[in-house]
Amino acid sequence: MENILSILVFFPAVAGLLGFVVTKESIRAYGIAVTLVVFLLTLWLWFSFDMNNPGIQFVEMIPLIPDFGISYYLGADGISLFIIVMTALMTLIGMASMGETKNIKNMIISLLFLEMTMIGVFVALDAIIFYLFWELSLVPMLYIIGAWGGPLRVYASIKFFLYTFTGSLLMLVGMLFMAYIYHNLTGVWSFAVTDWYALVLPVDYQIWLFAAFFIGFAIKVPMFPFHTWIPYAHGQAPTIGSVILAAILLKMGTYGFVRFSLPLFPDASVMAITPIAVLSLIMVVYTAMIAYAQKDMKQVIAYSSVSHMGIIMLGLFAMNAEGLGGSIFQMLSHGIVSGALFMLVGMIYDRRHTKLLSEFGGLASVMPKFAIIFGVMLMASVGLPLTIGFVGEFLVLLGFYKVSPMITIIAGTSIILGAVYMLRVMKLAFFGPLNNEANQKLKDLNARETWSLVPLVAIVIWLGVYPKPVLEPINNSVNALLAFMDEKAITKEAKDMIHVSNSFESGRPTLSIAGGK
Amino acid sequence: MIGLSHYLIVSAIIFSIGLIGVLRRRNLLMLFFATEIMLNAVNIAFAAISHYYNDLTGQMFAFFIIAIAASEVAVGLGILIVLYKKHGSLDLDDLASMRG
Amino acid sequence: MENLVYIALFAPFAGSLFASLFGMKEREIFVGVVASILIFISFLASALLAANLYMTGEVIHVRMMDWIAVGDFNVGFGFVVDHISVTMMSVVTLVSTVVHIYAIGYMDHDRSFNRFFSYLSAFVFSMMILVMSDNFLGLFIGWEGVGVCSWLLVGFWYHKEDKPKEENPSISPSWAANEAFIMNRIADLGMLIGIFILYWNTGSLRYDEVFAQLPYLSETVLAGAAIALFIGAMGKSAQFPLHTWLTDAMEGPTPVSALIHAATMVTAGVFLVVRSNPLYAMPEVSGVSMFIASLGTFVAFYAASMALVERDLKRIIAYSTLSQLGYMFAAAGLGAYWIALFHLAAHAFFKALLFLGGGNVMHAMNDELDLFKMGNLKKEMRATWLYMGFASIALAGLPPLAGFWSKDAIIETAFNEQTYILWFMLVVTAGMTAFYSFRQVFLSFHGEDRHTPLGFHPHEMYTFALVAMFPLAVLALITGWFMSAYKVFIYHIGESVQYEMSEHTHHLAIYLGLLVIFIVLASIAYAYMKYARTGDKAWKRDEAKEQGFFYKLLKNQYYVPKFYEEFITKPYSMISEKFWTGVDLKIVDATVDNIAKFFYTTGDKTRSMQTGNLSNYLNWMAVGGVILLAVAAVSAIFM
Repeated sequence: MENILSILVFFPAVAGLLGFVVTKESIRAYGIAVTLVVFLLTLWLWFSFDMNNPGIQFVEMIPLIPDFGISYYLGADGISLFIIVMTALMTLIGMASMGETKNIKNMIISLLFLEMTMIGVFVALDAIIFYLFWELSLVPMLYIIGAWGGPLRVYASIKFFLYTFTGSLLMLVGMLFMAYIYHNLTGVWSFAVTDWYALVLPVDYQIWLFAAFFIGFAIKVPMFPFHTWIPYAHGQAPTIGSVILAAILLKMGTYGFVRFSLPLFPDASVMAITPIAVLSLIMVVYTAMIAYAQKDMKQVIAYSSVSHMGIIMLGLFAMNAEGLGGSIFQMLSHGIVSGALFMLVGMIYDRRHTKLLSEFGGLASVMPKFAIIFGVMLMASVGLPLTIGFVGEFLVLLGFYKVSPMITIIAGTSIILGAVYMLRVMKLAFFGPLNNEANQKLKDLNARETWSLVPLVAIVIWLGVYPKPVLEPINNSVNALLAFMDEKAITKEAKDMIHVSNSFESGRPTLSIAGGK
Repeated sequence: MIGLSHYLIVSAIIFSIGLIGVLRRRNLLMLFFATEIMLNAVNIAFAAISHYYNDLTGQMFAFFIIAIAASEVAVGLGILIVLYKKHGSLDLDDLASMRG
Repeated sequence: MENLVYIALFAPFAGSLFASLFGMKEREIFVGVVASILIFISFLASALLAANLYMTGEVIHVRMMDWIAVGDFNVGFGFVVDHISVTMMSVVTLVSTVVHIYAIGYMDHDRSFNRFFSYLSAFVFSMMILVMSDNFLGLFIGWEGVGVCSWLLVGFWYHKEDKPKEENPSISPSWAANEAFIMNRIADLGMLIGIFILYWNTGSLRYDEVFAQLPYLSETVLAGAAIALFIGAMGKSAQFPLHTWLTDAMEGPTPVSALIHAATMVTAGVFLVVRSNPLYAMPEVSGVSMFIASLGTFVAFYAASMALVERDLKRIIAYSTLSQLGYMFAAAGLGAYWIALFHLAAHAFFKALLFLGGGNVMHAMNDELDLFKMGNLKKEMRATWLYMGFASIALAGLPPLAGFWSKDAIIETAFNEQTYILWFMLVVTAGMTAFYSFRQVFLSFHGEDRHTPLGFHPHEMYTFALVAMFPLAVLALITGWFMSAYKVFIYHIGESVQYEMSEHTHHLAIYLGLLVIFIVLASIAYAYMKYARTGDKAWKRDEAKEQGFFYKLLKNQYYVPKFYEEFITKPYSMISEKFWTGVDLKIVDATVDNIAKFFYTTGDKTRSMQTGNLSNYLNWMAVGGVILLAVAAVSAIFM
């Protein structure tokens, strides 16, 4: 199984092509079977992953255009491993829970192609291959929003496509420039990320390149003020679209920061801490307040997603293992929790064909199972200890406290504001008397819906109580990344920053990365 | 003594005549003639410069252009005839089906 | 012994899981019985651990498993059974057992009976994590856990609808639940910050390791940690200004009020301060400690004043809880940690008793809580009358009941520390406490019968529930007698918890005690004169007086909830709305759309160049050619 990553990438695509000849009646079972196989393969990947090795594993490399150093270059490390597993899991569960019946065949095939591109992004180690999958992922999503979406679907899908596309073009320019510099300095062309890592760039180059990559990633995350495509995309997308979008596509942005920005431009990253922290704070507080004002249940979750991504961004730039590790853990946690919340909203939408909070009230009496699962996900979303949401959020705030106590206190309001908007949804939708006629005959979750949510509930609690199996490999890779950044940084400020954020107040160095250990 | 510059001036004048023809004429057939004039102006320049540098490439190129122009006219006139049969006119102002 | 620790911790969890299996089914009495038995097992284990600790003095540390480990951060699930935690464990499980048994009777007719027990046992489990944990993060798990259980239990009758504030000050159970959760979250942020400060300065979150490092820390760090942790304590223990949730939380079922909002959860803040006593005892943070004592005293007085005019039975008891928590903080702030802990335990017993008695009244009166609609209930409810009267004596602080010993020690401490202002306020509050507790007893159980004309036919509670309350009554009586024994027991924990009165105070103690007893007796007598008599001298409602300024001020809780509504809740909604419609849609999104629109309109405008006329195109081509030539010429000349 040396080619496990290639299999992971291309199996869904080939299966998707074959899907065209499968009959309409059996396409759903076919899709679930394929994604299940992919998920099992990712589990195999996890178990055969060497946890003690912080480096890149399962490497595959085939030169494609040797003259320009472009090659088919894949690999996974502790950071990408779990995002890949989560991608496969959420695609599987999203597909299993899907209530869509219109053009089901096209939907399943689009999803399989989407799965290929998503896994491709997370395993690609060649910038061109990365870019290829990054852009390809837009196409199935455009189609899913545009064909199965709500009344404003065309506007929403075009906005989604053009906005993210514009950003990634700037990123492409950055990549080409990076390769050009590499060629200038070494005399050979290469687009391999690992080759680029070795390059020590002057600070002004770093800043410009950081900016170019930043635009591409920031729009995807989406960071304030580039976030306005997301309420439309979520608002119009079908349930499955929102689940995939929130759970996985947004993580591509934050993953990009970890894979490219931090190791390639350590000095620029350290310089960017304050501006990024400010943007993240705005994301955390401002979008949490907007989420409170929403009248549509799905929009609350959409804006809360942005708010949580703010916490993730903050952690990425904490420059210590606590913050960075917590941030990567939070990516997984947000993927599962927000995915589940979007699925839940989708289920009530399937029944009532509305998502307006004013239409609901007292649902807990007619749909107790639904209310319980929503409650669990709500608590995970507001970061209750012993749920998955706490571990990441706590570590991020802990890590960033070392960088700036003041910013951490403001960002910490997310635990308050998150509770404010989520509890409002809970109260308006589930509590109170059951006044609306239309709600009185609602059926509770059926077997398909229940069994697609139960695994997520189990994961939410399992990783909240015992996050070690996931945190350990993340921790190894994160420590290696920080050590690398520390070694590579050229300005004194950057080196100091990395040292300070990794040591205790008494000055005792804790950093395994500072050498030693 | 007639030098290179004289040839070039003549070439430029003929080219300008052709250009004005291209800009002012409305009849497609006339446009063809105007293009022929421009091509031949260039031919003159080619031949003159070729002679001046003692390099036959320029004169070869002039022949080449003559050949291309001939085939172009052959194809072009064919199209013109079809157009005339279809529209009954060769006036450019009547042929604006590609309006954006 | 390790097994006992696990039994004490996980028996309630097992009970909760068991009850939740039947969560959506019809009411099953055995669910309540099994849950009660499991809590009782937990109590037995705690009691055995306490006995063991008393005999051998051996503190038990258990590390169950790793939890979060990243970088140098490594926190596991670890538990410690020492003198402080074992006190809390015993109190919590004992009161929980009684409340569980009582709730079988109280929740008898509720269709969500099983669900109730699953929540209640989950609460006990969280509370046990809170008190047993050997590190701050473990404490935080329990801290948030009890918060969620409180949210679930306050909002237990979630189906009730929102009422206007004039009709029901706490609007609805779900509203009160959300208020409690959110207000606690505000405080939890403070606590998290405290945890961050301690971690980055000591490199650990375990109590023993953190406390060992304290002498090496700077003053700002110590003060920062002390303040941040206390903010956390303020939320959970409902200290001003985060106190409004506690009275609103009375929307929950009464056993919940007895267990969570009187005996256990709300004392978690006091527990936190006592637990971190080495930190608060540092001379560098004496300012913070003084602030804690002052705030505690203020809250004691403030809450008691609001109880003076309240008509709602449960809210009066809630105010008294608030007031007693103030006493505890006063003691802890003044350095008498063990007295605070002792008062916490004594208070848990008599306050739970009082609340359960209130529950009996509520049960009898079909959930009517207005004291003005009761009167002379002792005729129908003799046992409840005895229990409540007894608990009120304990609360008022008359010897030989529990409340006297612990409360007197706190008042004495304030005198001993020469903080005479605090001492004076605490003494006055003691008088007020006696007055309002007996006002409530007399208005409900004595005086003219006002309920029969209104059509109420009260009946006594089930016998087994009354029997279940009996242990609490016994404890409310005897706890105080063991004060000196407890002192010896807890002194083992270390120097910072030891507190002795000076020689001077010792001499005066008897007079101080007598003064307090006199004031208390006078207040009770006044309450009796005013509310308990019948016939011509019977109490009459004075509508005119209710319009007075002070009456209205107290009745409206000093307008604090109103202030929160007008200056926090409403502006927050308004700003949120503005951010959404005014900023996000009109500015941020509009900018993006305008950029897109610019390209679109540019294309649209320049479209007219495409006339479709060939000669026109040729003209443009010529123009282009000329421009290119010109550019080439110009650059050839100037370059």
